[in-house]
Amino acid sequence: MELSDRELVQKCQTGEMSAFEELVSRYHQKVYMVILGLLRNREDALEVAQETFFRAYRKINSFQGGSSFYTWIYRIAVNLAIDAQRRQKRNPLDFRESMDGLLESQDEVARDPFADVHDKELRQNLTNAINDLTPEHKAVIVLRTIEGLSYKDIGEILGCSEGTVMSRLHYARKKLQDKLSAFL
Amino acid sequence: MKDCENISESMGRWLDGELSPAESESIRAHVAQCAACREAQRKLEKLQLALEGALMAESKSIEFEPFWRAVQLRIAEKRTWYEDALDWSRGLFTASRAAWAIPALIALLLAVASLESYFPGWRGGAGRNAFAAVDSIDAHGRNVALLREYDSKTTVIWLYEDQEGENETAEEPPPPGPAF
Ligand SMILES: [Zn+2]
Repeated sequence: MELSDRELVQKCQTGEMSAFEELVSRYHQKVYMVILGLLRNREDALEVAQETFFRAYRKINSFQGGSSFYTWIYRIAVNLAIDAQRRQKRNPLDFRESMDGLLESQDEVARDPFADVHDKELRQNLTNAINDLTPEHKAVIVLRTIEGLSYKDIGEILGCSEGTVMSRLHYARKKLQDKLSAFL
Repeated sequence: MKDCENISESMGRWLDGELSPAESESIRAHVAQCAACREAQRKLEKLQLALEGALMAESKSIEFEPFWRAVQLRIAEKRTWYEDALDWSRGLFTASRAAWAIPALIALLLAVASLESYFPGWRGGAGRNAFAAVDSIDAHGRNVALLREYDSKTTVIWLYEDQEGENETAEEPPPPGPAF
């Protein structure tokens, strides 16, 4: 029988490394995606994702279970990603490159949501449109997209109210729609 | 028309499943008979799908094994003494929820400051007129304690949080030690 996140956390707290390994295997891809959505390139995103789990491991004893493990780990991830972004202030081209690569790799996926030419343009322009959002707006869009998290969870992760999540999400979507109106 | 405006405001929440059953039903009913709103719905869904496609596909390229090895390596790295100290002090504050730790710290600092005025030079420093003041400020749910020691012109700023439970978790250190 599969253990719940909470049970795994409890095992981690008694020092069971294999329980932590299981948590990492459950969340590493999603955590990476959240970070990649916020950062400009894959290498940085991978590094920050690994750092996220390292920090989680170090802090696991202070996790008390008042919230779920995933809101906790995403919160660490988002904070580290936003920190990293503010510190680095890299060339904006980086993000475009990585997102282009990202979108290319998508071609290999069987269920390609971009079937026709029109949609190809959509995906090319999506990159720039996402890039133009502020980190706060990127964060809500990415969390909502990757996990379909509730506004309440997203608020918990980002340390803001549900109302703020709602208005940021509304604004971010509107911005993206405006920029991509020709392709939607 | 007014309806359509309201619906466009709530469309995202509706598709996200964040509305009450009654609100959802009223939107559904409107959209069913309004072509303009159906078009708005289609666009929003397409945008969402495009975002999902863009972000999800990439995650499959991250294999577990190398990822986990890197995390393990990081965990096994030798820690410096001050990292241990930071963790220790962080644990202290979590445990106590900062309830007594901050006053205790301030008392300690005050003691140090007044000690200096009684025994000028015990720290090799300048002696007379040592005087310290402590302020506590509550800023946006974060508490700030300020200690000013005029003689040595030292200001100690201490940030701490006294919210429930796990809020300290992901926050990067509000400097976990006094910042001189
Ligand atoms: Zn309408």
